[in-house]
Formats: sequence, structure tokens, C-alpha cells
Amino acid sequence: VKASVAIIGGGIQGLMLAFCLAERGMKDIAVFDAGYWQGGASGRNGTMVRGGFSSPEWTRFFGYSHRLWLGLSRRLGHNVMYTQRGYAILAESERTAGIIEESLRTQRDCGVASRRLPTPELQRCLPAIDDTRVTAAMIFEDGGTAPHHAVMKGLRAACEAKGVALHYGTVVTGIERAGARAAGVWCGADLISADATVIAAGGHSPAVAGLAGVELEGRPWRLEALASEPMRPVLGPVLALLDRTVYMHQTARGEIVGGCEVQGDFAGATLASDLPVMAHYARHIVEMMPALADLRILRQWAGIIHATADFAPLLGPHPDCRDLWISAGWSYGVMGAPAAGMLLAEAIATGRIDERMAPFAVDRKRQGRLICESAIVVSD
Amino acid sequence: LGRQAKSAAKPVTIFWNGRAIEAEAGDSAATALHRAGIRRLGCSRKLHRPLGSDLVLGLQAQLDGLPNVRLDRLAVRPGLALSSQNVWPSPGFDLLRLARLIPARWVRGGFEHPKWLPSGSRRFELWERVLRFLAGGGAAVSPARPGVLQSGERLAVDLAIVGGGPAGRRAAIAAAQEGRSVILICRGPSPGRFAAAMGEALPPLPAGIRLLAGWEAVGLYRRGRLLVAAPHDGGPALAIEAGEIALATGRRSLAPLVPGGDLPGVMDLPTAAGLLRDRAIPPGQRAFLIGTSAHDAIATRLRGLGLALAGAAEAGSVIRVLGLDSVRGVALADGKRIACEILIHAGLWRPDPLLSFQASAAGELRLAPGPLPGHIRLCGAAALAPEPIACAKLDDRAFICPCMDVAVAEIRDLAADGETHVEVLKRLSGCGMGPCQGMPCWDYLAAALSHLTGRPPESFGQPSHRGPRGGLTFGQAAGLADLIAPEDPR
Repeated sequence: VKASVAIIGGGIQGLMLAFCLAERGMKDIAVFDAGYWQGGASGRNGTMVRGGFSSPEWTRFFGYSHRLWLGLSRRLGHNVMYTQRGYAILAESERTAGIIEESLRTQRDCGVASRRLPTPELQRCLPAIDDTRVTAAMIFEDGGTAPHHAVMKGLRAACEAKGVALHYGTVVTGIERAGARAAGVWCGADLISADATVIAAGGHSPAVAGLAGVELEGRPWRLEALASEPMRPVLGPVLALLDRTVYMHQTARGEIVGGCEVQGDFAGATLASDLPVMAHYARHIVEMMPALADLRILRQWAGIIHATADFAPLLGPHPDCRDLWISAGWSYGVMGAPAAGMLLAEAIATGRIDERMAPFAVDRKRQGRLICESAIVVSD
Repeated sequence: LGRQAKSAAKPVTIFWNGRAIEAEAGDSAATALHRAGIRRLGCSRKLHRPLGSDLVLGLQAQLDGLPNVRLDRLAVRPGLALSSQNVWPSPGFDLLRLARLIPARWVRGGFEHPKWLPSGSRRFELWERVLRFLAGGGAAVSPARPGVLQSGERLAVDLAIVGGGPAGRRAAIAAAQEGRSVILICRGPSPGRFAAAMGEALPPLPAGIRLLAGWEAVGLYRRGRLLVAAPHDGGPALAIEAGEIALATGRRSLAPLVPGGDLPGVMDLPTAAGLLRDRAIPPGQRAFLIGTSAHDAIATRLRGLGLALAGAAEAGSVIRVLGLDSVRGVALADGKRIACEILIHAGLWRPDPLLSFQASAAGELRLAPGPLPGHIRLCGAAALAPEPIACAKLDDRAFICPCMDVAVAEIRDLAADGETHVEVLKRLSGCGMGPCQGMPCWDYLAAALSHLTGRPPESFGQPSHRGPRGGLTFGQAAGLADLIAPEDPR
């Protein structure tokens, strides 16, 4: 069996890349995924989208991705339910107020639309918030959310319509090496030879790279999130609280969905959730939005991402193996997927590495070129 | 004796959508409303069909600007003012009820992405505003509500028991005799109410145990080492480290998977027994009993409690529950129609899998529970095998997930397209995404898939059971934040 591109991982990265390759006219693209459709982090994430961060590297890349989000429903021919309800970031200290100032400067330089969020407007769009705690606030007016089930549904249907072969429940057991290059994937006794092989396997990516005998920096990292019982809209925009590493939004279904970071090491390959994240997230809610204290928590779940040294993605060719491409290390994977799909598809098809993608080179840790980004809400 | 005590209780006036209702002290709000003859309390998410007390959405209302208050877990107090939720513009003139006229097939596909929604950002956003309003159900919580962090407590005991029925009591007595420290958590305002209402002799609880009545065991974390429990009244929660855990949670009866099986008036045996005990079934309401075993004994007992029973039959013999807004009768497989206002089901009996699933399911798929850790045991009825669900006939109009309006027809069509993975079906249809979080819809989902494909129901697994299913408020959870450190996996 022969494929032009064999993609390991049928999450949002794998499907978006397959779609972008097919959009360029490429045939015989095959996607392999060990789990079920939407089973990994692509089926259990924050679904939040914004176009800017504090570093130019992140802002150029995610600014581009955000523009692609705006037209994604049209390209796929399916409603991905991207809604520009706004994305607010709040600071509660001098330090994080500084991050907001830095972010606004970077975003202005990179042409990303964002602005300060004055207190009266903050009170209007987030009436439950205790604004006396807020030292600075900003908003991406065209930021928002895209529910993962709608995105994945649209991507899957669009891929199938373009003839991409999707193989869920299919474990890749090996990556075929032909000298210095990767030559395809093994699924048990079957070899699917391919001109290019892509690893987009989320938290499994380092282990999958091992199948090709190469290393991939980073480790699996468990994140947890929870949803409240539904109610009519009380949160306008998506909300990120920098000092607390808290993020949340209210879904179209009425549930407030969000999560936070707690100190500790969450390696481990289980989706069983635990108490600390739920309890700390709840405390952040009660402190920042006391009116929500009596709301009930409906469900809690965990997902596994691939955490790299700087929490930035690993995107591009693998330096130690020809024809092996990587789209891994994602902690803002939904947000970045449209850009990653476009730019990686271009790189695979033409060999050209776009300058927006270049800073996320797979071997940047080895090269001592880690990216310093302070406006993210994951942390070590 | 209970009746005499009740008769002496002072009446309490509560309000339902502005109407004054006489309740008895000690009633739950749901009991008081049933006694007053109010059948429709809540409705389904999309089609606004009235739902019965088996379903959480059939029991939720608004109280003081707070949505989703469970009426069966709320004790009456003078002046309690409750109102229907998911209504617009008002409970008395509710235009959203017109949604019942929408054919179920039009609103397939989760709540918010049926095929007819417009696509593209701007047009979708206008739609989304309407959707967010409709989907939200309860009112937006009032921003002016004072929020309180409920400082929780961490405690260690030798034995934690969940369930106050006969099996839970036996476990408590045995442990107390050995001098072990015991905590017993039960959902009702006092332990063993169902068994008592059914006339079962209950061994008295030993002195010295810590009894938490009106509490919910909301989660069993860390391979079953950490039990979290919270009171229904919103007070402080507990993080309990127990040397041993006894799950004596009994079994729940599933309403029949037939059209109308979710109507107000359909209720499980414990609910019916409780209403009879509290003399909350108005005279003149006739009932029909279905079940999987021991009908005669149950029927005798219910008649003894004063119920006008119109008959009894095997659970599988009901093919349709009649009625538009509440039960008016049942249609049986032999062609008979029986008029009644209440349908009581005593089986299929199946255990609630939440806690044992949480304690044992591991890995990255979590589609089935694993073996229970050695320190956890199932006691009494909870240890019995779930009764098999036979779907001899599968009526397209029956709702597998009544709260989210997922009908058999939707699952049948998805299965015909080759979708039989339960997690995928959950994401495509919204099945099990309502306030009960899949109990009992996922049991019915597996049974329906088995019927449609010929494969055994166990082969489909179940979507991951995820707590705390509304058993914990943000204020209660917040009070546990500094008590439990993140686990060190090394």
C-alpha cells in the first residue's frame, strides 16, 4: 500500500494538515489514529481562539491562524461554529499588567487587533467579575471560541469529501526507515509506504518519534477542565486570568467550561481526573466572580497534551530524519491548527519553510533558541 | 406512627410561579408540588417536552436568581418562592412550549449544531445569541448574589459507607463492633427511607458513627483513596481518606424505553414509596405498576400504603405510555390500554456506576471500569449484576436521552451510517450530556446499539462517567482547595 503522506494522529492537527494537503491537490493522503475520533486532546480542550500573545514569534503565527479561523467554515463547507464573542485577558498584579502592556505593543507591531478593556466595558461584558481586583485588562474583539465537536465534525467531513483515507482505531506500530529517511508507517504486519510521514500524535508524539529512532523533546502532560451546569449567558467574552493561569468561557450550551493550572507534575497516561484542579479553579471563580459560588459543577475531565520546554509547538521537518515531519508540542493546538495545517502543508509540498513557522523549529531547544512567551496560561 | 407525627406537622406555605401551595414541614419541594397536583416541573432542553421525576431536568427550577435548583433535594421553608426555568417570556405564558411542535429529527445533532444552522462567522453569531439564550435553561445567575466559600474539611476514617439502606447499616454495625471509626453518607434526609417505606425491618444504626444524611458522595479519586462528599444544602464539603470504602448505593430502576416513558407521572418505586409515605399522592390518582420481579409483594405493600393500583405487569410488557403533558394511561403489548395517572417502575434494576467507575477506570480511553481496588467493596444490591435490558422492539419515538431529546431514531440513523462508538455517538448527538451525565441514558444507548447491530451490549462499553454531576457547587469545591496537595506520580 502506498500513500503520498502518512499522518500519525487524527486529531485537529492531523485532520487540518490532511485537509490543507488535499486542498493543494495532493492525493492518497492517509491518517492513522490509535483511538477513536475526537478521543484525544482534540475532543477535550478549551476551544478558545485569539490572535495574539506577548512575543512576536507567537503573535505572528497565531495572528495568521486567527485570520484563517474566520474563513474556516467557508473553506470546509461545514459550520465550525467559530464565534467572535471576544477574548478578554485580565491582570491582577503589576507583573501581569506589564505583560498586557507588552502584549498590546507586540500585537500592534504585528498588526493584530487588540486593545485595552476599560473598566465600565469590563463591568458590562463580565458583570459577575470583581473588578476591584483587576489592575489591567485587554480584549481581542474578534477572538472567541470554536467548539471542538463542531470543528472536528467539519474537518472530518471535509477530509472525507476530498478523499483522505481516515483510519481510526488503527495503531501505528512502527515507522519504516530507509537509510536517512522515513519511508512510511507499519500498522501491525502492514506497511504503508509514504513519501512523507508526519507525527501529529499529541501527548504520544515523543513515543511515536521513538518508532523512527529519533528523539522529540517534551513529555505528556495532563490538563483538567470542568463544566458548570448550564444557564443563560453571564460571561460575554472568553476569559483568561493571567495571575491565576485560569481560562474559561460559556459555551453555546450555557455551561461555563474552564480550567486552571496547579503546582505539581502531571505526567502520566490516565484520563482519570483529580480533586486539586477542580478545587483551585473553583476558588479562583469564587474569588473573581463571587456570584457564581452557588452554581453546581456538572462534570470534570482530563486530557493529555505534549508539553515542550517552552510550551510552544514543534513544527517542521525533523532534523535527524529526512521526510519525517512534526506537528507536536501543542498546548494551544485548537488555536494554532489552521496556521499549522497551512504552513506545514506548504512545507511538505514545496519544501519552503514559512518565516512564521520557522521559530518553532523542532530542534530549537538543542540550538538554544527557546521562545520566551509570558502571556500563556500554562506554566511549569 | 409516622402518619400521626406527620398530621401534627404545621403547614408551610411555599410559592410555585407565584401560586401559594400548602406544604408540610419536612417535605421536599418536589413532594409538596406533587401533593398539590402540579405535574409539570421541568422540561427537556430542545423540544421542551415535560419530563417526569426520574430525570434531573424534570426536577430543576429557579430559586432566588439561582438556576438548576433540584426540587427533590430542597426542603420546604415558609415563603420559599420557586419558579419554572427554561420558559419565555413567563411561566404562565410560555412561548417556548411551542418547540414541542418541532419534529424531533429537525433538532438532531447535539444542541447547537443541527444541519440547518447558518454557517460563517457573522450570521452564525446572530443565531448563537438565540441559541445561548435557549440552551441556558435557567436564568443567568444574578451578578449581585453574594458568594460564599464554604471552608471544607479533610478527615481520615477506617470505613466510609455510601448508602444508608440495610446493606450500609450492616456494614456500619460490623465495623462499629470492631471499634473502627465509621462515616456513613446517604442521600435522603434520613438513612434507609426507601427500605422503611417498603416495610423492611432496618437494623438500628450503631452509636458513635458519623452520619451525613442529605449528602452526596460526589467523587472517588486517586484509585478510590479519596472520597469527596458534599451536603445538598450547599454547606461545607468533606475530603475523606478512608482505609476501606463500602459502596451500598443500591440499584436504580430504569423507566421503560418506550414513547412517553419520560412523562411526568412515570416514577421509580422509591419515589412512589416516598410520596405514599408522605401522603403526597392525591386521592383519585390511579397507578399502574411494572417491574422485573416480586410484583405481587410490591403491589400488596403499595396498596397497604393506600395506593389505588390499577394493575401490574412485567416491565417489558408496556409498549407506550399515554398522555401529552402527563401520564394518562399505558398501552400493553397484548393490546390492552389501562387508564392511570402514575406509572411506577420497579425494574429494570441497575446500579449507578459513577463511583466504582471513577475509582477503577484508567488509561486513555476509559470506556469500561477496571477491577475495583482491594479496599473498596460493593455491598447489598449494588453488588448484584445489572438486569439485562431486552429491547425486543425499539420504537423510533422513544427517547434514549430524554433531557437532551435524543430519540431512538437519531441513534438508529447514526448506527446505519456506521457510527457505533459510544463516545462518538455522544459527541454527535449530545446523548448523556444533560444533568444526569449518562445515567441511565448510556445504559439504554448500549442496549439500543446491541439491538441495532446484533452485538452484545457490553461490547460497546460506556462513555466515561464523570462526576460530580451537579453534586458540588463552586463554593463547596473552593473550600477543599488547600486541603489536598496535587499527587506526585513518581
